[in-house]
Amino acid sequence: MTNSSSQITKSSTAEYFAKNLQQVGFSSPAKAVLTTLKEAMDNALDACEEFGILPEITVIIEKKGKGHLRHTDRIMIRVVDNGPGLTLQQVPMVFGEYLASSKFGRGRCSRGQQGIGISAATTWAVQTSATGARVITKQKNMKKALSCMVITDLKKNQGIIKEKEMTNWDREHGTSVEFLIDGRLQMNGEGGILAYLRGNILLNPHLTLKYQLPDLAPTTISRVSDIVPVIPPSLPPHPHTMKLGEFMSHARLFGRIKLSDWLERGFSRLSRPEITAIVKTSGYKASLAEQTVTSLTAEQLKKLFATIQEMDLRPPATKSVITIGEEALSLSIQRLGQIDYFSVVSRRPIICDLKPVQVEVAVARLQTKGGDSDEAVQVLRFANRVPLQFDRASCAIIKAISSVNWRAYNLKQSKGGLPSGPYIIAVSIVSPFIKFKNASKETIDASDELVEEIRAALMKAGLKLSRHLKKEHKERELESKLQHIEKFSPILVDTLCRLTNANKERRLRAENGLLKILGRDNQETVKELQAAEVKLAAHLSKQKDSLVMFNDEDKQLMHHEEELSEKPLDLEEAEPKKKTKKAPAAKKAPAAKKKKKK
Amino acid sequence: MVKYSTRKQSEITSSAIALCDRLLSELEKGRRPVLSATKCSLDNSVYTPSIGYLTPGSKRVQSELNVSSVKKISRSLFMLEILLRNVNVGGINTKRELYYISKGLLKSNPLIKPLDFDDQVESDATIDFVCEILECYREELNCFANDRGGQTYSQHLIVTETMPNGETAEIDLSRLGTSPFMPKNRPQNLTLKAKGKIDFCLVLESEGTANTLVANGITKRHPCIVVGAQGVPSNAVRGWVKRIQDQLTVPIYFFGDLDAYTLQNIYRTLKAGSASSLIRNKDFSAPDVRFLGVLPEDIKKYDLFHYDVKMNDPSEARSLKKAEDALKNDPFFRSNRNKGLVKILNWLIESRKRCEQQSFFSVDGRDPLIFEKIIIEKIKSGSYV
Repeated sequence: MTNSSSQITKSSTAEYFAKNLQQVGFSSPAKAVLTTLKEAMDNALDACEEFGILPEITVIIEKKGKGHLRHTDRIMIRVVDNGPGLTLQQVPMVFGEYLASSKFGRGRCSRGQQGIGISAATTWAVQTSATGARVITKQKNMKKALSCMVITDLKKNQGIIKEKEMTNWDREHGTSVEFLIDGRLQMNGEGGILAYLRGNILLNPHLTLKYQLPDLAPTTISRVSDIVPVIPPSLPPHPHTMKLGEFMSHARLFGRIKLSDWLERGFSRLSRPEITAIVKTSGYKASLAEQTVTSLTAEQLKKLFATIQEMDLRPPATKSVITIGEEALSLSIQRLGQIDYFSVVSRRPIICDLKPVQVEVAVARLQTKGGDSDEAVQVLRFANRVPLQFDRASCAIIKAISSVNWRAYNLKQSKGGLPSGPYIIAVSIVSPFIKFKNASKETIDASDELVEEIRAALMKAGLKLSRHLKKEHKERELESKLQHIEKFSPILVDTLCRLTNANKERRLRAENGLLKILGRDNQETVKELQAAEVKLAAHLSKQKDSLVMFNDEDKQLMHHEEELSEKPLDLEEAEPKKKTKKAPAAKKAPAAKKKKKK
Repeated sequence: MVKYSTRKQSEITSSAIALCDRLLSELEKGRRPVLSATKCSLDNSVYTPSIGYLTPGSKRVQSELNVSSVKKISRSLFMLEILLRNVNVGGINTKRELYYISKGLLKSNPLIKPLDFDDQVESDATIDFVCEILECYREELNCFANDRGGQTYSQHLIVTETMPNGETAEIDLSRLGTSPFMPKNRPQNLTLKAKGKIDFCLVLESEGTANTLVANGITKRHPCIVVGAQGVPSNAVRGWVKRIQDQLTVPIYFFGDLDAYTLQNIYRTLKAGSASSLIRNKDFSAPDVRFLGVLPEDIKKYDLFHYDVKMNDPSEARSLKKAEDALKNDPFFRSNRNKGLVKILNWLIESRKRCEQQSFFSVDGRDPLIFEKIIIEKIKSGSYV
């Protein structure tokens, strides 16, 4: 029932998001800058990977004066990639239309999922600067690049192209997208630009990243792997990941098809012998398997579903989730700074909360922060290889890290808190269906199953770390034993002589006797120390060997390490810019085909 | 089995010097000196029902001088020197004060800086090791712990304390008004005398509840002694209850929570001493103490409020686990003499319930004397273990 004064009106999707941009990561000027960069960069990486291109991404951020909003600056964010580029028809859909995506509901482990984020960035640019997304894109078969401005028609939820022109671009293919927005630049801290770039560097060993940020020297981080991760194709659903309603709806998607064929083709991990067993265990005759699905009653479907849920099936296929891998992570983690120890753990994919999930963990110790740092460890969180930077308290990853007893692995930890020390703990969750707590994908829902799975990975990494620390400790202990001899011998004799009022002769004899005793110990300790040193060196060498995935890349890696040692490796400690280089012109950069995300 | 008895300080000093002399002689001969001490742990604890407390077995801990032990031995001798100096000049200190004394000495002499203690835990362990080597009580080396617990109330008790200079002081507890008498860590210096017949001595785990009982007049209505243990009994409380047992021959009852921690930690320590203080249990345990409650049957009889043990609370879960271990490894609980206590522990482990001593106040919220009435009823009816 409505009265005349409360008319029911319809709004477009774009209007809804335009009024609720805080829901998709634009809740503050600082977050607006980061979200815009994140959406552009995630799209660039997804586009490159989709087409098997090794990504080479350039990020340029500049301050352009005072912003229109209070306490903001005008920030220019440009992301240039070497992806496949976009067609004229795709450009307005990608940058101006909400929920227009090549990935929505496909059940793949891509960074973007729904097609909201980059359109929201365009809307933010329109709302704060009265501009849109400046796009230059070129596909391989195009002679000239397409340059245009994209804005969103909120009423119709459509992208509109303005200022269209064909221009020369020296790239074979790629995309450059530029936003001019009101925002505030936060460089450091967990929610800072540097932390975001750092996260991408770690989880994308195949990425070459060039960035030019205000007050910092231009920096290039070269790739350490030439393998483009293949995003696994979506698979039929695993029966254990379905709910009854979904199962029954699924039955109607295949038309008149035999029950056995439906179960075999429509689901993963169900083969003929299992299907026969399902029918039999449900109490039906074997002939039921030959009936068409459409002829089955709701009761029969419910019974079959219940039987399937009780059966032990093989877990979802490993290929349904993308794996970074221990080797790639080992190589990539070296790019985060001067690291003297790391351990990486890749868990096998399992079902958590009815969805396939894979957890990977990397723990690294930074030399640059000193050995006894009491600061909490730096945590890098990732969901489908996208860094998560806000709302950390309620995140499954933080809960899992806090719940592990790190003291057992020789790290300092206050009760119920994060461990402390000069360490980075990076946790990556990959799944075709990650349960985020909000649309802006800032934090992962902390279900018991997922937290337990992350804990298992962390504990394995902790165990590796602990073994290493014990080896180091053993060596330190032996060294201190040698020092003990020098330090305590005279004190011991002195005290005994004082307590017994011994004369000089006794003291001399006791000193000689003690030196004789401890001298023998000394020789044994030196031998032990030498053995421990050899063992530790062998351990480190083994760890280093595991880094080298490709023998022919050894030189390249060494060259890269040299490069890193000369350049500011720890992004947070990057040197202030000495010479201001002019940013590469967007017009000269190659373009990439953009895939909608979110 | 090694037997210990309190010795005069001069004897302890002489044996300490003799020990140092032996160590020096060994060094002169180029031989490794060895320090030997009684092993104070559960696997070296012996419980004999006729003795009634945990005594040390034959195991010894030996520290031979080598690169690993040179620091420990040097520190022990350093602390021994401080303690002997205290004994000579009549100085008395707590463990905490000794920690700071050692810090001061180390600060003033850079040559002995390597002996520095990182924290009090290290200096405490060194003091204990010295006592174990010399087979003496810490108090005999003039090191006293901070007095905790043991607030005692009675209208029928007179305590005579022998001071270090030989003088005596007489304390009539009935003349202290509302103030309690606080026993010291050296109960051997106390002599007790009863004014008339004393019916019983009641040791309560909660000092607050002991105060309530006295405030409500239990000591006026009944010739008794009320002691507040304040959790795990300190040396002072343990020695004090032992003194009451030996000198007054009155029945002593312990009343505390019904949980694994109280039974296995608090009550066991009061009754039979602890594994970590094997060499002092003789003077610091009262084997005649009885467990008045809370008993499992009291829960049903008085319809008491009780709770499930929170297994997700690490400390509560640990208590149950320790109780299971105690049933297997603790000679006190393995003895047939204590099968009544074992039965309660088994009930606690199986039922995973716990009941606090204050739950007796729930029996009749309008009667402030209900707690006292139940206690007296339990004593009269023999409802204890």
